[in-house]
Amino acid sequence: MTGPVLAHEMGLSRRLLPAPAIPRPGLLVGGMVGLMAVAVLGLVGAGIVQEHAAPAQRLLAPGTIGHPLGTDQLGRDVLARTLAGFRWSLAVVLPATLIAGLAGTGIGLAAAASLGWTRVILERATETAAGFPFLVLAAPVIAIVGRGYWPLLIVLAILASAPFALAVFDATWGGRGRMPVFQALYAVPAALPVVGAFIVADLVVTEACLSFLGVGAPEVAPSWGNMLADARQNVTTAPWILYAPAAALVLTVLSANWFGEGLGQLWRVKAR
Amino acid sequence: MSVATLLFILVRLSASPAALLAGAGASHAEVRSAHVAYGLDGPILQQYVTFVTRALRLDFGQSPAHQAAALEVVRLRLPATLMLTAAALAATALVGVSLGVWLGLRADRPEHGWAFRLLLTGQSLPALIVGLVLVQVVGLTSAMGASAPLSFTLSALTLTWWLTPRAARLTAAPVAGAVRQTWVLTAKAMGATSRDVLWGHVLPNSLLAALALVGVQVAFLLSAAVVVEWLFGWPGVGNLLAVSMQARDFPVVEAAIFAIAFLVFATYAMVDLVLAAVDPRLRRRATPP
Repeated sequence: MTGPVLAHEMGLSRRLLPAPAIPRPGLLVGGMVGLMAVAVLGLVGAGIVQEHAAPAQRLLAPGTIGHPLGTDQLGRDVLARTLAGFRWSLAVVLPATLIAGLAGTGIGLAAAASLGWTRVILERATETAAGFPFLVLAAPVIAIVGRGYWPLLIVLAILASAPFALAVFDATWGGRGRMPVFQALYAVPAALPVVGAFIVADLVVTEACLSFLGVGAPEVAPSWGNMLADARQNVTTAPWILYAPAAALVLTVLSANWFGEGLGQLWRVKAR
Repeated sequence: MSVATLLFILVRLSASPAALLAGAGASHAEVRSAHVAYGLDGPILQQYVTFVTRALRLDFGQSPAHQAAALEVVRLRLPATLMLTAAALAATALVGVSLGVWLGLRADRPEHGWAFRLLLTGQSLPALIVGLVLVQVVGLTSAMGASAPLSFTLSALTLTWWLTPRAARLTAAPVAGAVRQTWVLTAKAMGATSRDVLWGHVLPNSLLAALALVGVQVAFLLSAAVVVEWLFGWPGVGNLLAVSMQARDFPVVEAAIFAIAFLVFATYAMVDLVLAAVDPRLRRRATPP
């Protein structure tokens, strides 16, 4: 929900916020370590433990043998489901970000390269789309189209392409007039990973919120949003269902934000 | 208008909207009549025009669940949402903006790094998680069981938590930029105290820039409000949207989106107006010589 804003903020802080004299790579390194952990958990985590419904083992407390973090209301292992959530979340968000990045870069460059009214219209349209909260548009569309992997992926990709387009336009035009091509060849690749990291963080949260509201992932899918909805249902009887998916979600979002911010700071130091 | 266009494109991506609009388990004839009723049998451009004109006339149809005009149902929920966002905004203006000014004045000090990291971490905690932890701490068994003051307090608290780190960071950047300007040095050289410089020069300049940035955040506050209102059972537009989506009450869903879109663009317009009214540079640009 903050991607486009951060894109704006980046454009502004590039001019205003003084960069530290020497690069402080703490944020960047921390973010990279976190993202690597998330990637590893996404690749291998789902294979370690099997999640399957076992009605006889409903709502077991953490520490039970075989279920270190307990089970949920259908007897599914909380740890296994949380780990599977990494794979689900990344499988939705990464392709969506990639598609949005390609489409957004195209739109942004087209806007910066075009003249007169075409540029004004493209710029205004991008700004309007980027300035409107993802969730409010995505939720009803998925409510109409139906839950599922593909609806989520496509809707998120379409909505996330606007902030990408705005950031690319900002980097190559940004009110200063058109940039020479060789300069744009550096500015665009520098801006993309920063915006991309923020968009990934945003989409992970949006996916969880949509699934939490019942208009995202299918009910059986191991989405953290679904798990949080289960936690909401069983808040007094089984409070342990909340912590594992919440921690996984925060780890992913935090790593992506730190990576984006750290990289942005590094570019600002280099730009001086 | 642009919201209508976006919504139209996204909805048309689905194969057969008529079948869904008629509701689950509708017979073939019912689907057919929904097809005609929504004008889905015409060419695509005509469908688009129908869709947009209906939206512009604010004609969203009747809500089957509420037995009333969808727009009226949404209108009754608007005050609750406005109250909630106003409370969150007031609290954020107090906490977030002062934090941002404090942070901006210390851009070179070591504590800045730590405070900055703390804010970035706070910003990475989604409203959904903060809300769920609050639910657990308070021991709220169900959204329906919450009394109105409790649900209001918790919702406002969660939204304030969501907005504060963003507001603080966005305020800090212009303040840090302003204290580096040469006019600060000039004013100090002319004998102004730090306090005079801060209140008379730095804050008016930087808070304007912060207002433009925070205005965008306020629009996004409304999308956090959808989740938060539903979580705590606060009877606002966001809650209505969430409930209507689950009940597949599409006239109300449509009307609620347009209400939220209206609030978003009203916020942008208001920020622009305030900026134009307070900032002499923008006034001058508006009337070129």
